[in-house]
Amino acid sequence: MTTRGIDYDRLTLKDAFDLAILVEEEARDRYEELAAQLTLHHTPAAAGFFTKMTGIEEKHRQQLQVEREKKFGSEPRSIQVELLYDIEAPGYDEVRAFMSLGDALRTALASEVKAHAFFTEAVRNVKDPDAKALFSELCEEELEHQALVKAELAKLDPTPNGNPNDYSDDPVAL
Amino acid sequence: MNAPAFQAKDFKSDLKPIWCPGCGDFGVLQGLYRALAAIGRPPHEIAFISGIGCSSRIPGYTTAYGFNSVHGRSLPIAQGVKLANPDLLVVVAGGDGDGFSIGGGHVAHAIRRNTDLTYLVMDNQVYGLTKGQLSPTAPRGLQTVTSPLGSLEEPINPLLYVLAYGAGFVAQATPADMPGMTALIEEAIRYPGFSFVNIQSPCVTFGEDDQQLKAHKAKMKTLASLGHDSANQLKAMDLARAYGTELYTGVFYRNPNPPPTYDALIRLRQAEQSKKAVPRNRILDAYLQK
Ligand SMILES: Cc1ncc(C[n+]2csc(CCOP(=O)(O)OP(=O)(O)O)c2C)c(N)n1
Ligand code: SF4
Ligand SMILES: [Mg+2]
Repeated sequence: MTTRGIDYDRLTLKDAFDLAILVEEEARDRYEELAAQLTLHHTPAAAGFFTKMTGIEEKHRQQLQVEREKKFGSEPRSIQVELLYDIEAPGYDEVRAFMSLGDALRTALASEVKAHAFFTEAVRNVKDPDAKALFSELCEEELEHQALVKAELAKLDPTPNGNPNDYSDDPVAL
Repeated sequence: MNAPAFQAKDFKSDLKPIWCPGCGDFGVLQGLYRALAAIGRPPHEIAFISGIGCSSRIPGYTTAYGFNSVHGRSLPIAQGVKLANPDLLVVVAGGDGDGFSIGGGHVAHAIRRNTDLTYLVMDNQVYGLTKGQLSPTAPRGLQTVTSPLGSLEEPINPLLYVLAYGAGFVAQATPADMPGMTALIEEAIRYPGFSFVNIQSPCVTFGEDDQQLKAHKAKMKTLASLGHDSANQLKAMDLARAYGTELYTGVFYRNPNPPPTYDALIRLRQAEQSKKAVPRNRILDAYLQK
């Protein structure tokens, strides 16, 4: 997780919305990519779960977008966070062909934990009280998401089903 | 503030990468999209040239012009592309095998000509696409399918190699530090002349455990944190000697006074010569007079 380029001293409520929207957008796009990778590499259960996560992150993004529009209409974004990486999105190295559904859930859980750490840090650093309140709300939401993923994990058979590093599904040489 | 002209997604093609899930090249590609968005040139003004290998598939995953060419021949083709259309931004992408084994002979010439292009090598110390053979950057002793008892060869040091031939911009990056890598790719593309970035991009399928991103995160050190002055070429060479033992990231060397590029010199020569051009029907006379 990296957040170079965020100036918390000057961050307004609109910036806080935009930041949160970008975080959800990145997570949505990453889950979509990971689902595509795992579909291609014959790992349907994990791919299916990541597709579900794509939908969930998109829903969060839309909710934030609606709130932002209510308050700020179509005012343009003024934050520059091109270097914001992997806040709520799992890193590319977190997945493997033939990973189990349990591993996919644990990957998502780790990402929700990362996101919670990010928003906690944001609450601590931001000066604007409205932006602080929004970040606190998002912190709470991240905890709820963690609980949801943990509940899904609890439903799974705890028997480990092999190490995906023992198998590979590498590209075919041309 | 004006909205940026392009976003990372504008450079992403509809083709889905077939790389193994977890491959380092995914991060490199994402960093590349963002670097291109920051550069702000439209996809049709950019050309990606590659050889053959997993990493060489990059042109197909961008919306820019692309040529996934022949194993080891990306640099000659890229130089031709740049000379034919100097207005194109030319980026060359490929693997350690493509660049320093079969294509190794071309690197020196691209550097000494100083053609304005950016060469990104995804160094995973292995031949990924052909299933794990020994690559020229693999460490001595490495056991692979082609060195089952351990390699008896010293690896090539790509950083020292390009520095020795006088490359004007030499950097190393890893997708374990995405913002750092993205910024380096952008800086390399902006450098006026031949620029080289060795990207340590792990192969999760055939690579070693100590070459994976988690290991990179633990061992990487930025050259900035060492107080390195990137204008100091000799110091850059000294630091580059640690390739294979230390993982230094950042700019090793940046020529503070970039010399004219080959493509610019060719343009000048074309302009000079075109003044002396004779009409077609008098070409023969020009020779007969001699
Ligand atoms: C002339 C020729 N020789 C050999 C090959 C087989 N070949 C394809 S890719 C490759 C090596 C790939 O390794 P590298 O360049 O490091 O790329 P990676 O797959 O690791 O990204 C080889 C030997 C070929 N395609 N053409
Ligand atoms: S074989 Fe290695 S380099 Fe090729 S796609 Fe798989 S992980 Fe990446
Ligand atoms: Mg390789």
